[in-house]
Amino acid sequence: MNLASLATRNVGRNRFRTTLTLLGVAVAVVAFVMLRTVISSMEVAVTHAAHDRIGIRHKVSFVMQLPRRYIDTVRQTPGVHSATWANWFGGKDPRNPREFFPTLAVDPASFLDVYDEVAVSPADRERWLADRQGAIVGDQLARLLRLRVGDTITLSGTIYPGNWVFHVSGIYTATRRSMDRSEFLFHWDYLNNALPERRRDQIGWIIARVDDPSRASGVSAAIDRTFDVQDIQTLSMSERSMNLSFMGMMSGLLAAINAISGIILLILLMLFGNTMSMGVRERTQEYGVLRALGFLPKHIAGFILGEAAALGLAAGVLGLALSYPLVQYGLGRWLEENMGSLVPYFRIETSTAAQALGFSLLLGVASALIPAVRASRLTVTDALRRID
Amino acid sequence: MSSPEESAAAPMVELTNVTKTFHRGAETLTVLDGLSLSIAEGSFEALMGPSGSGKSTLLNLVAGLDRATSGGVRVAGQDLTAMTDGDLAAFRARYIGFIFQSYNLMPVLTALENVELPLLLTKLPSADRKRRAATALRVVGLEDRADHYPRQLSGGQEQRVAIARALVNDPKIIVADEPTGDLDRKSADQILALLEKLNKDFKKTVVMVTHDPEAASHARVTHHLNKGAFQ
Repeated sequence: MNLASLATRNVGRNRFRTTLTLLGVAVAVVAFVMLRTVISSMEVAVTHAAHDRIGIRHKVSFVMQLPRRYIDTVRQTPGVHSATWANWFGGKDPRNPREFFPTLAVDPASFLDVYDEVAVSPADRERWLADRQGAIVGDQLARLLRLRVGDTITLSGTIYPGNWVFHVSGIYTATRRSMDRSEFLFHWDYLNNALPERRRDQIGWIIARVDDPSRASGVSAAIDRTFDVQDIQTLSMSERSMNLSFMGMMSGLLAAINAISGIILLILLMLFGNTMSMGVRERTQEYGVLRALGFLPKHIAGFILGEAAALGLAAGVLGLALSYPLVQYGLGRWLEENMGSLVPYFRIETSTAAQALGFSLLLGVASALIPAVRASRLTVTDALRRID
Repeated sequence: MSSPEESAAAPMVELTNVTKTFHRGAETLTVLDGLSLSIAEGSFEALMGPSGSGKSTLLNLVAGLDRATSGGVRVAGQDLTAMTDGDLAAFRARYIGFIFQSYNLMPVLTALENVELPLLLTKLPSADRKRRAATALRVVGLEDRADHYPRQLSGGQEQRVAIARALVNDPKIIVADEPTGDLDRKSADQILALLEKLNKDFKKTVVMVTHDPEAASHARVTHHLNKGAFQ
């Protein structure tokens, strides 16, 4: 026995109350972990953005397009290794009108060069490059829409109206989390050639790989300077910044989730606070006995805070133990398969687990601060309740 | 109040013109009123009196749990009136062994761990602490209950564990506040016999508060208090 073990022994003192508190806090931890995982899942493209890629878009807005010829200028800029482009197509599958998935018109060869994390078999790659109506589909989207190689699928265009027929040339996966596995990628030429003359040769944005990631901002500035004298100016930024600007469209949702996370932490604090203040009140006389034996106020505060820390840690561990199977094998897998475009990688990040455990521990201790200070300030005789 | 033979010994407790007042709102309550007391080393003395007479307050002053409003308090050669709270805590840990009416054992600790508790404040290694706690339990005849929790012990056994806890740091003085108040006669007699043993065999000075004349008869000297003064 030592001073620390004496503190932790009290956790199991009132087993019914401790169990209820642990379960209550554990449920709150599960909710916190799930909400944080929603956020980290949405931010995965930002977090895992490639350091050697920059995005170039219209200076005014993302929705305004650039001339196709700009890609040649970008490719000639010193420091640029390779470049590709894409247009947001906004296709919908009439058979699954409620499913949202990104549909992008891309230049296949340069796209696969710039996005080298796209893993597609050599046979699928050849098939896609050879077929102008070909498309490759992320494995998550393929599962959702039940697509297989060789299938024909008709998408209705929202930005480019009409019915567009595609052949599924291949299914891709990703070697890094920077690539969304729920995209539908098809030939830009197929789109461009079908458009009326006035809408042709326009591209949504350019993505360039740079030779040296540490010089990415210099290359971005150089590209923008090049186009400053043109009618249409550009805004170049790191892939991370570009993905962040996409995220900006969901800022309201993210703010709401963050607010709910904060409320959960508050609930956690109150659950702990209730348990600790009841426990301390019940044990006031024992603290008096300890003081009589020669223990100091700092020991009393230490016992109470130690007990709270042990309770917080136990609740955090229990919460994580419940969260992992629920998220990793249950909800997470289902979300990835059914809502992959929104939450492409719904798994608990190590940082989320650390946050949950840290907050549980921290709030446990914080909730006991006031009871600990009050108990330690009591005089021995007051604690023993003897005035006779 | 002391017997002639004890007055020759050095006083273990010396209270001089001690006053203790409490404030309840605007009211000032004088619990001890100019009281003086000398208890010799190795004595066994009882404090008796009706509720509110100030006997427990007096015991608190002797044990360094509370401070006198005025007057001098010297215990085991230490001037308690000049001590800080931290000094008083160290004094209690070194010189005083406590026995409470309701035992006040920690329910989450075994008998052995309860006895070991005061030794956590010392620098003794764990093995030495355990050895000393086991010895103290042997003195009170509970070595076979070392691993029992308080809820597994009778009231008399709990009080004997409390006595072992009071004894384990080898204090100069044992202060006992109604040590038999919650016990049946048979258990009470065992506890009183144990206190006598600590006094005679281990040379501990014992100061005991009690309502029970039978308990007080085990003491060599009995002081009667009423309204904060000796009768």
